[in-house]
Amino acid sequence: MSIDDATTAANDRLADRDDMIVCVNVDKFYGDFQALKGVTATIKEGEVAVVCGPSGSGKSTWIRCINRLEVHQGGDIVVDGIELTNDLRNIEKIRSEVGMVFQQFNLFPHLTVLDNITLAPIWVRKKPRAEAESTARALLERVGIPEQAEKFPGQLSGGQQQRVAIARSLAMEPRVMLFDEPTSALDPEMIKEVLDVMKELARSGITMMVVTHEMGFAREVADRIMFMEGGEIVEVGTPEHFFTNPTEDRTKLFLSQIL
Amino acid sequence: MEEEDPISVALKQEENISPNEAPRLSVGQWLRTNLFSNWANTILTILGALAAFLMLRGVLNFVFSENREWVAVRTNLRALMTLSYPESQYVRVWVALGFVVALAGLSAGIWANWGGLPLRRLGTWFMGVGGLIALCVLVREPSVLVDTEGKALLTLSGSLQRESFGAAMADRVNWWIAALVLFGFGIALWSRFSSAERRHIEWPITSIVYVGIGIAILTLWVVPYGHYAFDDGTYIAEPGTTVAFSTQMPWTVMWALLGLGFLLGKFLRSSRYVRMSKTGSNLLWLICPFALFWVVLRDPALDYGHVMSTDLPMGLAFGLLGAGALWLLTRSDIGEAGRIAATVLLVVAIFNWVAAFFGWYPMLQKARISFLLLAFAALLAPNFIGDVAKRRQLVLGWIGVMALVHYLATMINTPSTLDLQSDEFLGGLGLTLFVAVIVVVLSFPLGVLLALGRTSKFPIFRMLSTSYIEVIRGVPLISVLIFFSVMVPLFLPDGMELAELAAVLTGYTLFSAAYLAENVRGGLQSITKGQYEAADAIGLTAAQRTGFIVLPQALTVSIPQLVGQVISSFKETSLLAIIGLFDFLRVANSVIPAQSEFMGVKREGILVVAMIYFFFNFVISKYSQRLERRVGLGER
Repeated sequence: MSIDDATTAANDRLADRDDMIVCVNVDKFYGDFQALKGVTATIKEGEVAVVCGPSGSGKSTWIRCINRLEVHQGGDIVVDGIELTNDLRNIEKIRSEVGMVFQQFNLFPHLTVLDNITLAPIWVRKKPRAEAESTARALLERVGIPEQAEKFPGQLSGGQQQRVAIARSLAMEPRVMLFDEPTSALDPEMIKEVLDVMKELARSGITMMVVTHEMGFAREVADRIMFMEGGEIVEVGTPEHFFTNPTEDRTKLFLSQIL
Repeated sequence: MEEEDPISVALKQEENISPNEAPRLSVGQWLRTNLFSNWANTILTILGALAAFLMLRGVLNFVFSENREWVAVRTNLRALMTLSYPESQYVRVWVALGFVVALAGLSAGIWANWGGLPLRRLGTWFMGVGGLIALCVLVREPSVLVDTEGKALLTLSGSLQRESFGAAMADRVNWWIAALVLFGFGIALWSRFSSAERRHIEWPITSIVYVGIGIAILTLWVVPYGHYAFDDGTYIAEPGTTVAFSTQMPWTVMWALLGLGFLLGKFLRSSRYVRMSKTGSNLLWLICPFALFWVVLRDPALDYGHVMSTDLPMGLAFGLLGAGALWLLTRSDIGEAGRIAATVLLVVAIFNWVAAFFGWYPMLQKARISFLLLAFAALLAPNFIGDVAKRRQLVLGWIGVMALVHYLATMINTPSTLDLQSDEFLGGLGLTLFVAVIVVVLSFPLGVLLALGRTSKFPIFRMLSTSYIEVIRGVPLISVLIFFSVMVPLFLPDGMELAELAAVLTGYTLFSAAYLAENVRGGLQSITKGQYEAADAIGLTAAQRTGFIVLPQALTVSIPQLVGQVISSFKETSLLAIIGLFDFLRVANSVIPAQSEFMGVKREGILVVAMIYFFFNFVISKYSQRLERRVGLGER
């Protein structure tokens, strides 16, 4: 099966759904260095897309372009029908639709867990405090740490912090969740608790784009896997295709190194 | 709702001694391991002790020398505190002080969780103080012998003739008694609370401090110290009613207010209004410097005709029309029109000030201020779009601000009834505290804005704040003060006047803000990029990101530097003497030595002034350490 066939197969399965993230020829430069070279991809509503590749291949840069933490210089990015331009209102709209989870958690250390989660719903979504707090407690229940609501992030383990970060993003009721290497900064015994939460999320039907090295997770929940190297998408396919029958030599090399 | 916050719980856990504590060293062992562990250490210990001994003896000989005229300080206590402030108006000072004291008590009751002090440790403190007094009595040189005319007697070799050691000790019998009483009380406390089951009995620190202050005030009723010094516009040291006599009653009232405030605070803490009272007490602290110096310095003679015809209608108009405008601006369907309206308001407000500068059209100053405030409120309005409660918050806040601004503006523009006896309406410690507090309170927001400007991503803000900061930091404070007191009045538009003190306050505030900005910038730079990204990713606007995420963390990090800045602002008020104001130090340095009774007596006054400066700064410094420990907990 060629790349095209695999892509077609995946696209067929998602064909009747709406486009959620559309990237067309996205370019990104850091000075003279080109980090993204014409990245083109479409992620459908409800799809779980895993992006993998060696470090420095541009996967984090790409995912960070999608909610404008990095500014792309060429091509178009459209999220849920809103084009990402310099217009501040579009950026605000997209950011309130798109949640993001970072490698380093980036919780706010001076706020309690509960305040971390309710800050944006209260001030961006303009929800009453009581409603925001009950939602936050429900979310903490969902990620499995309801008893930590009053603590400060510094008092939690890495895995718990990352689960709070996921709850914080979910509190905005996003249509898309972006995960930028969510388990890379965690001790091995904490990776599982975070992945479990992510798997549960994936089954709930939210659109997810995940940059990760966790191939087990990719195999289990991904609808499609995209392999990047040198700022380009080298191969796209379903997990079965990707792990059993990769077409490109670079993909094979990568898989042989990490599996 | 006596629910304890996680910080206080953690603090308690930290302070509790764990059952498995490391075995304590005995005194002998401690000395051996820390002071005499090897021969080099031993030599250093001995040299250090010798240096401490010589310094202590020097200070004691200076303080208790026959040449000291402490009566100059005692007689001039009032001059040191307020200089020429009229005696008949003193009740204003007491009212102001009473308010601050009650507020301090209230805040201590609402916030402070100061824990307790083991009585055993209190015992060791008493022993320490008693021992120190005994040591001082021993160390001080025997007094110089004087003849009947008060001249020092010389020995045959030409040196000063001193009494014998035994006679000196006998002369100081009062001090010995004091030392013994304190030491004995300490031992009694210590031994009573040394047993294993009594060891951890504690007294709340607040009670200990309160009782200590009470004992200090009690001495006013017992010992008649201090004399009045200021009379009829001239400085004369005239013994008469003692300061102790005239202040014993007011101080006792202050003491009672402190206690009542504390009890009220404790009551509020356990009531369900705790959140509201915390906000309220913070607000009161913010307003009280301005309101209270107001009480002390002026007492407006209101012209009620003018108030009814102009001031009141104008205030109402701004309050109500502004409230209506803001209600409209927070409609959820306002969209782009809101931003346009806010911008237009801002342009109008700025144009009013430009017009004032060139004298194009007349307008009451408070109208200009109100327009500017309305523009800012309109810019903030998008943050309050939402349900009715949120919109009501903004509108009610606006009406409150307008009431305050118009009240203050009206009061400022009304002449005062306060009858001043001389040009220097206030001096001494009163002036020093006035300038220091106002400068710190005003320069803080300005400094934060400058720091934000300097780290902003907009080049124009960055350029403006950077050049401002660099220019101010390149100029000595004295030149800024002279510039504002001498030069600025020449440049002001026609019809605008600036009192000397206001000019100085402006200059000092602008100066202090530049340094403060650099301290805050240090804190801002310590915030990681991830914090900004996380704030952006959850959709906060730039203003929300700054207010909720960046500034709280940056200010926490820069607490030590900010406190250093507060302390140096306080100390450098002594430079006000150079432009002719009578600050605390100048009273001791120039006013007292100029009195005919105490010609040239400087050292005593300056020593006392230095000690009072030290006391204030020490308290500030200690408080900041507590603050650091408290807020540091969220970080770990």
